[in-house]
Amino acid sequence: MISKSQSLTFYIIVSLIFLLLMMFGALNIGVFDFGSSSSYQVFAKLLSGDPSLSTSERYIIWEIRTSRIVMAVLVGSMLAVSGTTLQGMFKNPLATGEAIGLTSGATLLAAIAIVLGHTFESYLPEIVRNSLVGISAFIGALLAMITVYRISTSAGKTNVVMMLLSGVAITSIGFSVTGFLIYISKDEQLRDLTFWNLGSLAGATWTKNIILSIVLLLSYIVILPKGKALNAMMLGEKDAEHLGINVEKLKKQIVIITALMVGTCVAFSGTIGFVGLIVPYILRFLFRSDYHFILPLSAIFGSILLLAADTISRTVVAPSELPIGILTSLIGGPIFIAILIKFKNTLR
Amino acid sequence: MIRGQYISYKHQETDILKDIDVNVGTGQFLAIVGPNGAGKSSLLNILANEIKTENKEKIFFKNRSLSDWNIGELSQHKAKFSQHNAQDIPLLVKDVVMMGRYPYFESQPKPDDHIASEKAMTGTDVLNLQKREYNSLSGGEKQRVHLARVFSQLDNKSENTLIFLDEPLNNLDIKHQHKTLELIRSFTKNNNTAIVVLHDLNLAAQFADQVLLMEKGTVLSYGPPEKVFTAETISKAYGFPCTICKHPVNNNTMILFG
Repeated sequence: MISKSQSLTFYIIVSLIFLLLMMFGALNIGVFDFGSSSSYQVFAKLLSGDPSLSTSERYIIWEIRTSRIVMAVLVGSMLAVSGTTLQGMFKNPLATGEAIGLTSGATLLAAIAIVLGHTFESYLPEIVRNSLVGISAFIGALLAMITVYRISTSAGKTNVVMMLLSGVAITSIGFSVTGFLIYISKDEQLRDLTFWNLGSLAGATWTKNIILSIVLLLSYIVILPKGKALNAMMLGEKDAEHLGINVEKLKKQIVIITALMVGTCVAFSGTIGFVGLIVPYILRFLFRSDYHFILPLSAIFGSILLLAADTISRTVVAPSELPIGILTSLIGGPIFIAILIKFKNTLR
Repeated sequence: MIRGQYISYKHQETDILKDIDVNVGTGQFLAIVGPNGAGKSSLLNILANEIKTENKEKIFFKNRSLSDWNIGELSQHKAKFSQHNAQDIPLLVKDVVMMGRYPYFESQPKPDDHIASEKAMTGTDVLNLQKREYNSLSGGEKQRVHLARVFSQLDNKSENTLIFLDEPLNNLDIKHQHKTLELIRSFTKNNNTAIVVLHDLNLAAQFADQVLLMEKGTVLSYGPPEKVFTAETISKAYGFPCTICKHPVNNNTMILFG
């Protein structure tokens, strides 16, 4: 019999190999035609530092394609893990960044930073100025998170209806303010704002990837070993505490880290919805709600999903491209309804 | 083992507990009984470190104030079975029981943990359910799964441990009520302590070493069952007439109501 630890390692290795193959495949897909040589030959030339590589080829393969693939992997992974963690904390599979207004909160403050940032920028220190949009998105996500948690949870029990409705409220506030900002914004800002609302990985750069990697690493060191604790939360917060889990500390960590992950993703790629809903939903079919499995695996499956969606979004209407948020929402919406139907009886 | 003095607790201006003293020794089986709303569960929760009150400093567990223990350490010395267990846990029964071993391993259960959880499942008669979905079980079966979880949590080398059980017999059939009480008694025979909220006075009389009878947040009577269970005290506490007699077969104290 395969023990549980071995089977987790097995699933992780298999899905990692699958992800690497996908990244490899995605490298060859794109609008630019390298002429006689394939993308892999160009990539090999790049790695070996071949001087015959033209600047434009180099730019396409490294700065555009590779960096975009890496960004899809990083953003997808973090969005999925934040969704899984939130569901563990709220003890409900409907809790995701979009449903509870986290994404709206992040988008709202990011939009404010884009449109109004220039008015107070000069008062801020250099380092804050450069990452103003990112920091605002994080603060927006954090505020939304705290608001929803305060409204929906009392004495350790989450009221699902309250959780979703406070998400609706935050989303509608975000929608109206973002709408107003679009109304008053200049042309250039308008383009940026539309980009937030639809979500896209087209803005990928290696600088962004480095920042995303740092955030991912810091968050995963804290969050990924929490599978056991999230399982215990299913017993109820008090019983989890009897099992030696510091629930208050755990919740604070989750609130800050998910806000950090969602905020950073929104800052760099806009609103890519429902990744945090779709991935755990699929994993729950295979592993029930065992967070010991679905937490680490959602980190890999999130990458797989977003990379697949991004590759489709940039090929399906080539040479143009579809905003990726449209695709993920298209899959996410029906899944949200499916979970709702399953929960119809308990929600009453 | 555990003692507390002048334990008081208020909830929204209502006195739930007033100046309660308890002192439970090693190897004792203490039954807390009393009418609805007497404060039984509140007392249990406070002793089990569940409610944040200033009482913590007044409660000494193994001669150390509760506020000096950290949560992780405490979880290897005491466990609690709650009255309202989660009904929706989308996991297998054995995974739920294994949660009782969480204080002992980091990410993967060790052989010891498998042995302990199987032993506990055998004890509460759920071993044959271990591969079932927890959510598909009946109320009584779920109850026994959690009992197994709580008992597996205290299966360790520590000299004496303490278990809190809040109405563990709810939903259980007669056979499992007795089996559970026997399990608790054999647990206390090994120098461990059990504090149990019970509703059935006859079972309390039969199994407990000490009985604490509560009424309106105060202790009405505290001592061995034969001392606490007199017709006068019980009628006073419950406001309902009763007669005390001897069980015709095993000679235990028996309480007949009405």
